[in-house]
Amino acid sequence: MKKILPAILCLVFAVSASAEKKDWGYVTGSLESNSNVYVEDAVNDFYPSMQPQLKDGNIFASNNYLKVDWYKDRLSAGMQMEGYFPSLVGYPVAQNNMTLSNIYVTWKDKSYSVTAGTFYDQFGSGLLFRSWEDRMLGLNNALLGARATYSWQDKVAVKAFWGVPRLGKIDDNTAMMGYHDGFFGFGLADVQVAGADLSVSLSSLLGMDVMSLSVEGSVLNKHEALNDLLLAAGCRDNNIGWSGRVNMDYDGFFLKGEYVDAGKQIVSVPAAMNGRKAENGNAQLVEFGYNGRGLGLTVTGRRMHRMNQKIYNYVGTDPGYGSAANMLSYRPAMSTQYTYMLMTLNPYSPEIGDKVIKSGEIGGQIDAFYNFRRGTKIGGKRGMKVHASFSSWYSLDENGGTAGGGLLFRDFSFDVEKQWTKKFKSTLMYCMQDYNKHHEMTGLYIGQSHVVVADMLYKWTPKLSSRLELQYLASKDDQKDWMAGLLEVNLAPHWSVFASDMWNHGSTKLHYYNAGVSFSMAHLRVAAGYGRYRAGYICSGGVCRAIPAYTGANISLTASF
Amino acid sequence: MRTFLLSLAAMFMAVSAMAQVPSVKVENSKGEAFDTAQLLDEGTPMIISFWSTTCKPCIRELEAIYESLPDWLEEVDFRVVAVSTDDSRQLAKAKSFAEGRGWGSDFTLLFDKNQDFMRAMNVTVVPHVFVVDAKGKVVFSHTAYVQGGEVELFEAVKKSVRK
Repeated sequence: MKKILPAILCLVFAVSASAEKKDWGYVTGSLESNSNVYVEDAVNDFYPSMQPQLKDGNIFASNNYLKVDWYKDRLSAGMQMEGYFPSLVGYPVAQNNMTLSNIYVTWKDKSYSVTAGTFYDQFGSGLLFRSWEDRMLGLNNALLGARATYSWQDKVAVKAFWGVPRLGKIDDNTAMMGYHDGFFGFGLADVQVAGADLSVSLSSLLGMDVMSLSVEGSVLNKHEALNDLLLAAGCRDNNIGWSGRVNMDYDGFFLKGEYVDAGKQIVSVPAAMNGRKAENGNAQLVEFGYNGRGLGLTVTGRRMHRMNQKIYNYVGTDPGYGSAANMLSYRPAMSTQYTYMLMTLNPYSPEIGDKVIKSGEIGGQIDAFYNFRRGTKIGGKRGMKVHASFSSWYSLDENGGTAGGGLLFRDFSFDVEKQWTKKFKSTLMYCMQDYNKHHEMTGLYIGQSHVVVADMLYKWTPKLSSRLELQYLASKDDQKDWMAGLLEVNLAPHWSVFASDMWNHGSTKLHYYNAGVSFSMAHLRVAAGYGRYRAGYICSGGVCRAIPAYTGANISLTASF
Repeated sequence: MRTFLLSLAAMFMAVSAMAQVPSVKVENSKGEAFDTAQLLDEGTPMIISFWSTTCKPCIRELEAIYESLPDWLEEVDFRVVAVSTDDSRQLAKAKSFAEGRGWGSDFTLLFDKNQDFMRAMNVTVVPHVFVVDAKGKVVFSHTAYVQGGEVELFEAVKKSVRK
């Protein structure tokens, strides 16, 4: 790899240096580097020496990503390199690895395109198939293969691909330690995926101007040489899934429906029954609502039954089976994704039905946004924005019915955003969450929390502003009450400084403190901080990022060119 | 590690900003396929802002642009393209969110549910804004947002017209 990197850089240099003299196209790219220095913190139950990737007293870890693309008319090519020195705590384990992870070349004409190499794709909502990259999760299930697309005007679009998902074993030692995220995306799975997707716009074909109506369908085949145990359980080497979809939009009203048959999926059963059985997986998704006249209303319903599509199925102790990266489709939690600190303490993880006692989930969510315009009685001089959301999710019983299911998660939230004066703006938010902490087992344990947040922004001068967040969580369950505060001072357009504390005064008496500074200029952003972190999602200094639990200092750099 | 960082430094010195807007399929607010190459058809400068419903700085930046837009348009003719990077979990919500803020009337709303356009523009974190001149060349870009940063953005738009 040390020889490959300079060679690639020389090539990039040569292309870019010549590009302005000859029309050799242009080069663009990005760099992301996140590094941590860890500190032992018994209070946070964090010990660097206990982390699988930190060996021999090492307290430093760093994740780095470099992506470069070259465009010349209809031709484009690119690559991505990743370096882990080693990987950050909380991420899938990687030990001092640097690799050329993605490489591709694409020819794209007005109506067709052909790609060879690494690519990402998705069918519909992703319930049947999705390949994507999420660096915060350490997930990259890109396919290495070939893809072709063709579209006839805006009436018909078709695509087909074949590829091998990115998934591989990093370190046998960590696997033997029983660390179940011992997989990372460096290698290729011994699995082949082929798929095709067709989309027909009926409204374009029939010349309908006011309505948009399309029907879509996809088919996916996954080939994996299975062992006798899985074959005996009812699985097949070639597993075929398909989906059908309809999308409609008329004068702001919209309706989407999707049905997915995922083929045979593996279900964990007691070891006395060989540990696995196969059942047919399927899902139904409906979304409808209205967007217009300052109102945004979305209603979503979804049922998932045995939707356990993994890249790699295996019976035994192989550590890769349970890895977060071992994923071939996208089955997200369909509830509000909160970002305020105390609202993210009990996030919902959907029930995909991979265990025998619960075969999936059913539920829905409603979101309503409304903008009280300026000059109206409620909106006042500067307007006011309100938002309410509700979601409720229940498990399916062993037979796919709801009779034996129970509540998995329920939440309700309401927020009001108001610009009071030219200088002062506030957001007030309330959130209630019911969560079943034992939903993976047969028992039922419902915890409930109520959170209130006041988020206030004040502009002292056109360039100097400060933002204050005050949060309180009231609960009779788990760790009882919490409070949190964040103060951010911004000096536009480059600087931001912040300090925050999250205090569990109801039970553990623990403080999760955090302070940092960020500088951004044009393509570059550098941020540094120190704190005690709980796993969660934090937004400050201009950027939102998910963080794992640890104590220590961090520095991050992002740049694009 | 040192080789990696030195190589990166060399690369940044070597490469100059010449990026353009690539052709990528995304969705418009009706859920129809939209080729981003069509953004260049109108031949006016534009701000392209990548945002998501879970990114509060992104929303604050787009709100600041939305508030200032009537005054800015009196000086320069340009467009604002807001590209949601929300995936299918938040896609429908992102459309309702944008409408609930009135953005649909003033911005071109695009939805990049598998982050293909985001990847093609080499956006790693949001918010990330680009100023694209009338010929389709990226003349300015900025990662992150702090209150008041929109002034620098508008200066870049004016500069792109004077070029």
